[in-house]
Amino acid sequence: MSCGFYIKMALTNIRKNARLYLPQMLTGAGLTAMFYILVTLSMDERLHEVRGGSYLPTIMPLGTVVVAILSAILVLYTNSFLMKQRKREFGLYTVLGLEKRHVGRILFWESALSCLGAIFGGVLLGILLYKLCALLICRILRVDSILGFYHVSLTSIIPTLLFFLLVYLAAFILNRIQIARLNPVELLQSTHTGEKEPRIKWVLLVIGLLSLGAGYFLAVTTESPLLAINLFFLAALLVILGTYCLFVTGSIALLKFLKNRKTFYYHPRHMISVSGLLYRMKQNAMGLASISILATMVLVMISTTVSMYAGVEETLIRQYPHDFYISAGYETETEAHKEIPLDDISKIMHQAAEASNLEISGEFQEIYFSCAFNRKNNNVFGTDRTENISEIVECFFVTADEYQQMTSTEVKLNKHQIAIFSSDTGSHVFSAGDTLTIGEQTYTCAEKLSSFPINMTAYSMVNCYGIVVSDEDTFTEILNLQKKDYGNAASDTSHHLVLDFADEKAMEKVYDQFVDEFSSGIRSYVDAQPDSTGGYGTSVDSLWDTMDYLYGMYGTLLFLGLILTLVFLFATALIIYYKQISEGYEDRERFQIMQKVGMSSDEVRGTIRSQILLVFFLPLLVAALHMAVAFPMLTKLLKILFLSDQMLFFWCTVASLGVFAVIYVVIYSMTARVYYRIVE
Amino acid sequence: MTILEVKSLKKIYTTRFGGNQVQALSNVSFSVEQGEYVAIMGESGSGKTTLLNILAALDQPTSGQVLLDGQSLSGISEKELAAFRRKNLGFVFQEFNLLDTFSIRDNILLPLVLSNTSVSEMEKRLQPVVQQLGIASLLNKYPYEISGGQKQRTAVARAIITNPRLILADEPTGALDSRSTDDLLQVFQNINSMGQTILMVTHSTKAASHANRVLFIKDGEVFHQIYRGGCTNEQMYQKIANTLTILATGGDKK
Repeated sequence: MSCGFYIKMALTNIRKNARLYLPQMLTGAGLTAMFYILVTLSMDERLHEVRGGSYLPTIMPLGTVVVAILSAILVLYTNSFLMKQRKREFGLYTVLGLEKRHVGRILFWESALSCLGAIFGGVLLGILLYKLCALLICRILRVDSILGFYHVSLTSIIPTLLFFLLVYLAAFILNRIQIARLNPVELLQSTHTGEKEPRIKWVLLVIGLLSLGAGYFLAVTTESPLLAINLFFLAALLVILGTYCLFVTGSIALLKFLKNRKTFYYHPRHMISVSGLLYRMKQNAMGLASISILATMVLVMISTTVSMYAGVEETLIRQYPHDFYISAGYETETEAHKEIPLDDISKIMHQAAEASNLEISGEFQEIYFSCAFNRKNNNVFGTDRTENISEIVECFFVTADEYQQMTSTEVKLNKHQIAIFSSDTGSHVFSAGDTLTIGEQTYTCAEKLSSFPINMTAYSMVNCYGIVVSDEDTFTEILNLQKKDYGNAASDTSHHLVLDFADEKAMEKVYDQFVDEFSSGIRSYVDAQPDSTGGYGTSVDSLWDTMDYLYGMYGTLLFLGLILTLVFLFATALIIYYKQISEGYEDRERFQIMQKVGMSSDEVRGTIRSQILLVFFLPLLVAALHMAVAFPMLTKLLKILFLSDQMLFFWCTVASLGVFAVIYVVIYSMTARVYYRIVE
Repeated sequence: MTILEVKSLKKIYTTRFGGNQVQALSNVSFSVEQGEYVAIMGESGSGKTTLLNILAALDQPTSGQVLLDGQSLSGISEKELAAFRRKNLGFVFQEFNLLDTFSIRDNILLPLVLSNTSVSEMEKRLQPVVQQLGIASLLNKYPYEISGGQKQRTAVARAIITNPRLILADEPTGALDSRSTDDLLQVFQNINSMGQTILMVTHSTKAASHANRVLFIKDGEVFHQIYRGGCTNEQMYQKIANTLTILATGGDKK
């Protein structure tokens, strides 16, 4: 028999089985396209050079690996499903006189044609969509689009083709082995062996309830953000374990309970749904639990990345009450780092600003030191690591003179009096007259401050005190006390020149030029110093550096989050679609019997609808519940990433859930339509 | 009292492609009286199944009428038809048609549940029926755990629990061994003797020999019918066999 015969046969088969083949090919194409896009993004150097684009080559390969793993799983899954549905047909071929190698050849051409269609279609789709994605990335990174043409990259097409060909080849080999083992007689006889009604596994049920309860408890009750980091992983594991256990055995326990309540159970719709689900749960519990977990992960991923990205502005405002913090030093024969006086730096900065046409609107010198302080013992600097983290506060000390210089407000303090600002809104709020013991000395709080000029947000995971002491002596006394306690780990006084610029937007445009300008200023200052050996260093902490960093990092993560969400939706849709189809073929018989016994087709439709709805939306509901419980903990984690706007995160979560639900509903209605067509 | 009246029933199938017409029933008329046990015999392709589907309101005749208790089946909406089927007809099929996901109890109760019967009423009706059919001990088992004969008795229980006006049986002994066949035919005779009207379609002479009256269908028409009179089952068997021989060797009805 000629090759043409097999190709023709394979083509007919693909067309005849479009209900099975089409979703598989579409998914294959979609996955190939995404893989291609991610590979290209990690290699496209034009994008890496734009501001914030430097995160692409580090983050995108991670995404590629995730997509690769998911793709392999999905392709093999859909393949095994296809084979299961078509085994009978292949059995019939052998009965009709085709040898197994002939069947193998038909299968080969079917696989080859569908796989080539999917892969080349996918690459083409990828090339078309790449431009869109690149534009989206530029938009997310807030840079002007640099891409005016289609980018076709052979270096990413080849690995994409190779990877997917390999995956499909693996799938074909698995199929070929199945064909070799095919026993036609067995296949032609439909073996309808009933399954035992599942039993409730009480141990699992208890484990499930306990671990879910414990996970939820941790998520709701953890107060301190630092503890949240440690406990989040544990809580997530507990919830995952609990979800699996409860789906596997809790669902059966619930259904059995319903079944035993006769007045509920003996109702047309309930009876059919409950007993149908009871059987279905056994095969589906793991799948539904996995979908719930994946859906939760996607929701966490997308809502956090979206809100982190959307919260960048707010984060910057909170983290940078002032625009620009700088200190600099140089190397001498005797010292590794000799500070350049802040007054000299100020002169250099003014020159640089003038050269870049910028106006400095505010300027002061920040001199303070900060250290951790154990609130429980109230007078000990050294903190025991086993101590409850919520008792630790970070203290920022400044003298009254500096405070006045920074804020232009005067605090009058006698010796051993302090003015204090506390970020704690709970039990540790100071008011005038309260005392604070540091070392041997007890200080009286003369004034409670409502704000503090030093930026404390870097320590947002613990509470902070801003403390104004009366004079230089007290300041030094506390500093030395701290040095004694901490030894090598003690912190020193920090000196910064703090600048504010009049026009932040103008600065954003000329920032790089400005940096070059003052760097060369400092360079020539250092060169002019007689004791300099030539080495120097500047430490700059600026609104604009952080803005680039945050938009680059969070923007790249956001993009990856979007892509992975899309892949996950593909996966869920496909799994549910194939599940429903295979169940449709099983259910057809049942519903035919029921119609013979006297069920109208309206009732059949109603029953089917409620069953599919439950199977479909249970995972979504569970994911929403998990998300709601995880919310407080996630808020705390985001706080560490400097996002403290709870409402923003709340709305991002709600919006993600909403969009997710809408897409889910679309998948549902498409699947339901196919299912009805099979059953009726 | 006439329970079922079939008037000049005609059914023509048009094949989906090409428009070839196949006449399944050309002109069938007969009636069934209250309490009768009627068997309809005929070879494969004689139109038996078509007739039964029309009687069960699962299919519509091309022309002619079916009256159950004087009520016509045509012109009722699909939804009412389902309710009608549930209330007035009981079905026993060759392949049992039990649902694997239901216990024997739930399979029997299914038609009652579908017509929203109260739980206490269901319990009340269930016991006598399962006692009579000897399946009371099987109630909590599942269809795949019991034998073919037991399955068919379960199907009978499901058919009679609604106290239907008429039981329609389609080759009820087709999938049973000879012992189970005897048991089942005994069951049919018993429930008939208690006043239940039964219409059975079969091509088993043995099954038909238990009926009070046998109708023969050939080429879409009622060809002949015989009454039991005072015959025993064995005599009835002989009579049916003779008729079948005449049918097969080409005795034209003129």
